[in-house]
Amino acid sequence: MNSTQEIVAPTTLTTILLVGNPNVGKSVLFSKLTGKYVTVSNYPGTTVEIARGETAIEDEPFAVIDTPGVNDLAPRAEDARVTCDVLRDYPEATIVQVADAKNLRRALLLTLQLAELNRPQVLVLNMMDELDKCGAHVNVRKLSELLGIPVVPTIATAGTGVHLLQKQIGSARPAVAPHHHNNIETYLAQANEILAQTYTHVRPHHPTFAQKLGWWATHPVKGFAILALVLYFTFWFVGLIGAGTAVGFFENIVFGRYVNPWAIRVVDTVLPFPHHHHTEVSHYRFEIPVTPARGILLYESSRDILAPTYSLDPDAMSGWWTQARRLAHDFLVGEYGVITMAISYALAIVLPIVTTFFLVFSLLEDSGYLPRLAIMVNRVFRTMGLNGKAVLPMILGLGCDTMATMTTRILETRKERVITTLLLALAIPCSAQLGVLLAMTARISFGAAALWCALMIVIMIVIGWLTARLLGGETSDFILEIPPMRRPQLSNVFIKTFARLEWYLKEVVPLFILGTGILFMLDKLHVLDKIARFGEPLVTGWLGLPREMANAFLIGFLRRDYGAVYLLDAATGSNAVLTPHQVLVAMVTITLFMPCIATLFMISRELGKKTAAIITIFIFPFAFFMGGLVHHFGMWLGF
Amino acid sequence: MKTRTNSYVHCPLCGFEFERRDAPCAHSCPLGKFCNLICCPNCRYEFPEQPRSISWLQRLFHRSPAKPVQRDSIPLPELEEGEHSELVCLNCAHASRRNALAVYGLVPGSRLVLQQKRPTFVVRVGETELALEAEIAQEILVKRI
Repeated sequence: MNSTQEIVAPTTLTTILLVGNPNVGKSVLFSKLTGKYVTVSNYPGTTVEIARGETAIEDEPFAVIDTPGVNDLAPRAEDARVTCDVLRDYPEATIVQVADAKNLRRALLLTLQLAELNRPQVLVLNMMDELDKCGAHVNVRKLSELLGIPVVPTIATAGTGVHLLQKQIGSARPAVAPHHHNNIETYLAQANEILAQTYTHVRPHHPTFAQKLGWWATHPVKGFAILALVLYFTFWFVGLIGAGTAVGFFENIVFGRYVNPWAIRVVDTVLPFPHHHHTEVSHYRFEIPVTPARGILLYESSRDILAPTYSLDPDAMSGWWTQARRLAHDFLVGEYGVITMAISYALAIVLPIVTTFFLVFSLLEDSGYLPRLAIMVNRVFRTMGLNGKAVLPMILGLGCDTMATMTTRILETRKERVITTLLLALAIPCSAQLGVLLAMTARISFGAAALWCALMIVIMIVIGWLTARLLGGETSDFILEIPPMRRPQLSNVFIKTFARLEWYLKEVVPLFILGTGILFMLDKLHVLDKIARFGEPLVTGWLGLPREMANAFLIGFLRRDYGAVYLLDAATGSNAVLTPHQVLVAMVTITLFMPCIATLFMISRELGKKTAAIITIFIFPFAFFMGGLVHHFGMWLGF
Repeated sequence: MKTRTNSYVHCPLCGFEFERRDAPCAHSCPLGKFCNLICCPNCRYEFPEQPRSISWLQRLFHRSPAKPVQRDSIPLPELEEGEHSELVCLNCAHASRRNALAVYGLVPGSRLVLQQKRPTFVVRVGETELALEAEIAQEILVKRI
């Protein structure tokens, strides 16, 4: 999830490698050293790619490299291999091992393995504050003596000890490695010996509230209650506040009343041709939602606004100059205009939903709830040939499928990565898509919406199960370290949300503009009509939808929510043409589409072109197949 | 009847004690049942099984018979929630799984607390909380303390 992706190239600078167990704060320390932001979270295995930065120590520049966490230098997971590769690529580098002071034993295991490499080494004991809280003490001086390397206590989140670390880099030296071992047991015996001399428990510790909360979150009964609470809060914040109140405000007020009419007027002045725009009544309600049906109404207003649709004046001349101006006008503010469609869609609908989602996600991530969620769902995920660890990419997929596809790297076997990627592409809509789809549910009954939701879950489990059968191979063991519950640092939550948003917008806005461009071209060249005729047997015959809907599916290839917006217009717009039954069919079909073209590129980058091609060839026919099935089954039941 | 009342074997190298049926050295071994080597699950040392005739001779010459072993090591799932225990051995089929547990500090001799059993096992080793599947928990043999 880091922004830097370049392949490592040896530099002339002295290099510092940050190495350590997962979730010990390497990335925080990296940011403190270099002033560069990388994604930081309370989940083991957040860093999947290395990040590079620079720092100056006593006016001498150093290159700093942040690596994914490893427990063992014999790598099991892909991310551990990355670290081993980096260690090999930089034979001259100083190794700064970051350790969680509470888990000194595990850190020492790694220290001893690193010592075998015979490189200059520094040990950083991070999270000294948490060590203190749990009532233990580490004799830093003694530890440094025993290992023969500098040991620096730090609290990276607060920046304590970072300065000391910078000073100590110069005195890094190879650790005393008296024996050459090759198995973990002998390392352990040695680690235990060192631990016995340096680590003491000062006082018995009582479980704190955060610890109790952590236990409740994995309890078979209380855990589900907490899960239900978390889900409802997420739904309320993202679905009702984000997709309801915020989208309503941006779409109706900001864009509907100000930006769009203003853009239309400006374009009309700059590129005049004889026409006048229609007016629409914009009705706006500002309310704080409580449940989907009820809310507290605070403000209500209606007003006439300029709409992008227009009619030509009867005395219009048809010179080529007028035509050209009209074309430019339509491209900017027409029905398929860049401003009136692409920008207003990206900023008014996508932005609020995605922002609220990433806020909640970052909160959950930093609190340490996600690993606990993995514990709760492990059983279900097993049936899909996955294990609980796949919950992180799945939940992130609700934010952005492309980002989630990249995060599947934390899974250990290729089988798990393929299944997770397929399920992400097939059945997990990203938050913007979910928002649009949820808006469509307004046209169908609650039962039908529940049916849609249940259908997606069933499809996910069945397809996951079948793929697991088909692929064979092994699912890795579910052994997951549970990080402590922590109060999320608000600044980190906000920074992370912004970093993700930036990534998302950079990826999505160009796609919207491209999609609008294609729609505009097709409309002007009157191809839309031909496509509609071409897709008629499939769309009208098999899915039972009006033939204009072929356009929605065509544009759905680019991004499924974009196709869904088209459907949304047909379903809930001023002249709705779809019946509730048809809305359900359209929703099922479009939900099963590939999330967006960027996801496809990411799949082929992560799993290879062949797998990406197979996934694509499976998804689109399957989407139409399921849509048709729902249509015919519904007809048979008499809807 | 081929089942023996005393199916516990001592490893002559590391002194590890284990059940006879747990000790095939490799599943794909072509010798199959004709192989009379036992492989110690702890140290992987292979040694020949003591033939019955020798134990019969030992008994004949009044050598003390092998004492019935008291079964004090139990699989982790048999503990109650919240119980403290000491890890006796990891009976894992794959060395990779043993290593995966070892890096979290789950090695013979370490103290653990079984925190919960459902929906997934959670054990505490020192300050590390670790979630494990039932299948893996079954392979962890512990001693109540």
